[in-house]
Amino acid sequence: MNQNIKLRVSQIEKSFPGVKALDKIDFTVKKGSVHVLCGENGAGKSTLMKIINGVYQPDGGQIFIDEKPVKISNPIQARSLGISMIFQEMNYVPEMTVEENIFLGNLPVGKLGNVDWKEVRRRTNELLKKENLPYSPTTLLKDLTVSDIQMLEIIKAVSYNSEIIIMDEPTSAITLKEVEKLFAKIRELKARGVSIIYISHKLDEIFQIADEITVFRDGTVVESHPREELDIEQVIALMVGRKLTNTYPKEEVKIGEDILRVENLNNGNVYHDVNFHLKKGEIIGFAGLMGAGRTEVMRSLFGLDPITAGKVTIKGKEVKIKNVRQSIENGLVMLSEDRRRYGIIPVRSVKENTTLSFLQKVFYRFRLHHKTEKNIVSDMFSKMKVKTPSLETTIQSLSGGNQQKVVLAKWMIRNPDILILDEPTRGIDVGAKFEIYKLMTNLAQEGKAVIMVSSELPELIGMCDRIYVMCKGTITGEISRKDFSQELIMKYATGTLISNEVN
Amino acid sequence: MKKRLISVLSMLLAIVLLAACGKTATPNASNSTAAGTTTGNGGAKTYKIAYIARAQSDSFAAWLANAVKDEAKKYPGITLDVFDGEANDEKENSMIENAITNKYDLVIVQPNNGEAQRPYVEKVVKAGIFAITTNARISGIEGASSVDANPYEQAAVNARAAVEQIPQNAKVVVLKGPSGNFHADERRASWQKEFFDKRPDVKIVGEQIANWNKDEAMKYMEDWVQANDKIDAVISMNDNMAAGAIEVVKDNAKFKDMLVYGVDGTAEALLLIQEGKMTSTCMQSAYDLATKLMETSNKLLTGAEKQIDTDIGNPLVNKDNVQEYIDVLKKAGAIK
Amino acid sequence: MDLKNVWSTAKKKYSIFMVLFVLFFICSIINENFLTPNNLTNISRQLAVTTILAFGQTMLIISGMLDLSQGSVLALSGVFAVSAYKSTGSLVIAVLVGIVTGVVCNIVNAIMVSTFKAPPFIATLAMLTMARGVALLFTKGQNLLQLGNFVVFGQGSAGIIPIPIIFLVIIAIFTWYILKHTRFGRSLYAVGGNEEASIASGINVHKVKYTAFIINGIFVGLAGVLFMSRVNAGLPNGAVGYEFTALTAAIIGGTSFSGGVGTAAGTLAGAFIVGFLDNIMNLASVDSYMQQIVRGAIIALAVIYDIRSKNRRTKSAMGRIEDKEKPKAIKAK
Repeated sequence: MNQNIKLRVSQIEKSFPGVKALDKIDFTVKKGSVHVLCGENGAGKSTLMKIINGVYQPDGGQIFIDEKPVKISNPIQARSLGISMIFQEMNYVPEMTVEENIFLGNLPVGKLGNVDWKEVRRRTNELLKKENLPYSPTTLLKDLTVSDIQMLEIIKAVSYNSEIIIMDEPTSAITLKEVEKLFAKIRELKARGVSIIYISHKLDEIFQIADEITVFRDGTVVESHPREELDIEQVIALMVGRKLTNTYPKEEVKIGEDILRVENLNNGNVYHDVNFHLKKGEIIGFAGLMGAGRTEVMRSLFGLDPITAGKVTIKGKEVKIKNVRQSIENGLVMLSEDRRRYGIIPVRSVKENTTLSFLQKVFYRFRLHHKTEKNIVSDMFSKMKVKTPSLETTIQSLSGGNQQKVVLAKWMIRNPDILILDEPTRGIDVGAKFEIYKLMTNLAQEGKAVIMVSSELPELIGMCDRIYVMCKGTITGEISRKDFSQELIMKYATGTLISNEVN
Repeated sequence: MKKRLISVLSMLLAIVLLAACGKTATPNASNSTAAGTTTGNGGAKTYKIAYIARAQSDSFAAWLANAVKDEAKKYPGITLDVFDGEANDEKENSMIENAITNKYDLVIVQPNNGEAQRPYVEKVVKAGIFAITTNARISGIEGASSVDANPYEQAAVNARAAVEQIPQNAKVVVLKGPSGNFHADERRASWQKEFFDKRPDVKIVGEQIANWNKDEAMKYMEDWVQANDKIDAVISMNDNMAAGAIEVVKDNAKFKDMLVYGVDGTAEALLLIQEGKMTSTCMQSAYDLATKLMETSNKLLTGAEKQIDTDIGNPLVNKDNVQEYIDVLKKAGAIK
Repeated sequence: MDLKNVWSTAKKKYSIFMVLFVLFFICSIINENFLTPNNLTNISRQLAVTTILAFGQTMLIISGMLDLSQGSVLALSGVFAVSAYKSTGSLVIAVLVGIVTGVVCNIVNAIMVSTFKAPPFIATLAMLTMARGVALLFTKGQNLLQLGNFVVFGQGSAGIIPIPIIFLVIIAIFTWYILKHTRFGRSLYAVGGNEEASIASGINVHKVKYTAFIINGIFVGLAGVLFMSRVNAGLPNGAVGYEFTALTAAIIGGTSFSGGVGTAAGTLAGAFIVGFLDNIMNLASVDSYMQQIVRGAIIALAVIYDIRSKNRRTKSAMGRIEDKEKPKAIKAK
């Protein structure tokens, strides 16, 4: 077969309970080339890379290295086969030195099993010199920047003589200048004959660095081409190319006046100059890729994160939001994307989880009113079709969908005017999703307003009246319902198109 | 706003801490100043003594430390610094080492645990510095002196009296100090040899470690009172625990004639003996110890003698002679 | 809910009371002196101080904190109260001084823990050392004697009921009421169960933590007055290690060290389990070294039980969550 092929996967399959994550994947990486994987969040790229790195075991199929079949059962074995992976979110010990980090888990030892620190120092110096990096072996990691640490990870990979390096979104946390440095390094590695698998959302970058591009969608490889045969438009079309299923209970609602107006909102360098507005009866969507700043804007509006500059007007009154309590008082509530971290009190009952946002309603006149509490909660639960064995059941023993409904019920008892939903349907079953869409519609009919942050374009398109798209910490486009298309959203989201009206 | 609040609070905290430190430091500071002036003015040789206490949280040790400090003021040529071993061998040993390093002329050690401090006291001697061990002495160190009350004797004076006082076939309870503690073990051994071995008719119906503490002793006594109709005597290894036992039965007519023995001669015990609630104790006078300690120190430093081993007396205090001890305490202002 | 479910909930909820009942029954059989009114009031009186402390610990542990300084702060409050009484002769002023001292120390705890985010273990350890130091400095290490009428709190009784037991009952009811019937109580559980989610639900977490420490301070201050009054002396080095007895009672009573779980009744039961055991061992003249071993074993058992039941809880919950959540990265469409 082709002598040039370094890595080949054939007919790889992987299922998680209820979902086919990867379906008969075929995919090859050539020696000394950069192979870019792209696709929407959850298309299966990361799962495949974890299989190649030995984190997951495939249900079927075969992996070949240098055309020889191999079985990779853990990351250490992957390393010995010459595969290294540099993760999107790096875990490192801030107090560790450069040399300790490079040789972590691979420290050379002397005869007595003692660490040979001289050898470590010598080899670190050698590597740093070879890679042209200006750090001392004893610098602490906390004194380095994210991109420095990334470089170290690459060095580490090189020190293992890796022939295949997988990089998962390596540019998500570094500056433009640092990206240039990274790309230079990648080109150098490529010239040495190292194969690089590069996962990224950022289409402009992809076209700078890729030799070949493979697009994933819903657990399958859509197409795989050399870069020359593709352009950005085509890649976007390939990424989203699916029919929209019309399962959204969207109804026409009379749109009223402004209920929320956000002007020039800033928070340090997390996001900047964010402008948008929301009207009564409206459902607006926030689209964008991971790390675009959508969640961060919402967290600030809800009082969880600070606002460094800008003006927020709710119901015609300017408000200064300092904490969650104020937002709640203003009738603005938010359902967080990370339910386990910000949503539920796992060990407490569903009843207590529900009334937590509105304790005044059940604790008054110096005591707890059991009956009132029970009535409030069971009314809300039957309205929202929450399935729970009893009101005393701990929330952690419910399914994800039911937990989500309980967290929503917590906010619904406050009867809010503005509801922010951050990835409300992530990780929950179809039935529960539908309930949540239904609820959004009902709220809109009652003259309330909803903001939905979602990475699932179909649901944004299905449910929203308008969609704002964010990219790199600011709003790049505003699209009204009649103009909705996944291609347009993707263009704004990848920063390849910036609407004039917005900026 | 919030940041300002935090910084104000932290400053307040720092000030409070500093103030607290300042207060604690004062006695030591005044001592050092005294040393400076004496050397400057007199021209005569001043001697520096390090007094290393077992633990300032131990009420007898604290009393002794204070008494030694007061006693030292009577000697113009001597300055004395007190260090706290915090009931910790490790800590106490390092204090001894520091005293050597700081070239004290004499080091007094009140050991937390004799055997643990022995090698360090030997180091003091080896460094050519006078060493005195006290309460309890570490015996058998070549060149080191000692001033002590003998814990065996302290218990024995009570035990010898008890042989006569405790009725036939009596039921008694025993309250012990922490096990492994030299004084606790010696006193218990003394009671065994001087009393229990001679009175096989006496039955121990309860014996527990109350760690020198009044509150722990109370708890044990309360349970014993439930379990036994009659307790003829309480044999306690110190006065605090004896006072605890008395506290439990003080209003109980059934225990009106109960005999109670302790050791130490604390103010509380003296008052109880005076009221007739406690039988006897052995005076371990911090004042006597302090006086003897300073006398011995002075003799050693002035070269009168090279090595001295001496004991204070172990006077038995009972209702016949309690008044004179109370008078002493009243004069010292310890009780009203 | 089927019968099996009812039984398993009951088992989880009431197992501690069953243990208490069984222990009570066994104790009554093996020693005729156990089940006497005198002995039972005796046990309650002995337990009053540490149980009051245990209620303070319960509130703190539920909200994910703890207080290691209780014993030292108790001693400090106690000696301050005693000397306030000795110089003013007023019982009311003495009690107030005790409570204020406890509260002030615990506000300092709260500042360290809530405002400066110091781990409660370390912060209260600092307070443990500081408060003991102040108590010793204040008394020069000597016991305060001749308390006169001050002993009424610890030794007096109203009719046939000893006053410490009255305090214990009032504080038990107060704790139950706080935990069950106030917004603050509900917030305690929430903060301990998941602090971030509590913030995101509009709970004022700082206020909750400060309040928990302040209430703990009131309890510790009162306990200090009771303690000194009971021993008829101002002992600056008294009550060493009482915080651990209090923690033991709370943990045996089902308060979970991971936060968010615990009840007043459970803690009361836990305290009595420890109290019954200590009492029966003393009545039966069990060797004191043996007693230490038994006490240690009980704590170990209680903690293992807590961890095991927690593992079971999370395992079953994880099982269900994992099933649904694994695909979240993959998303079926």
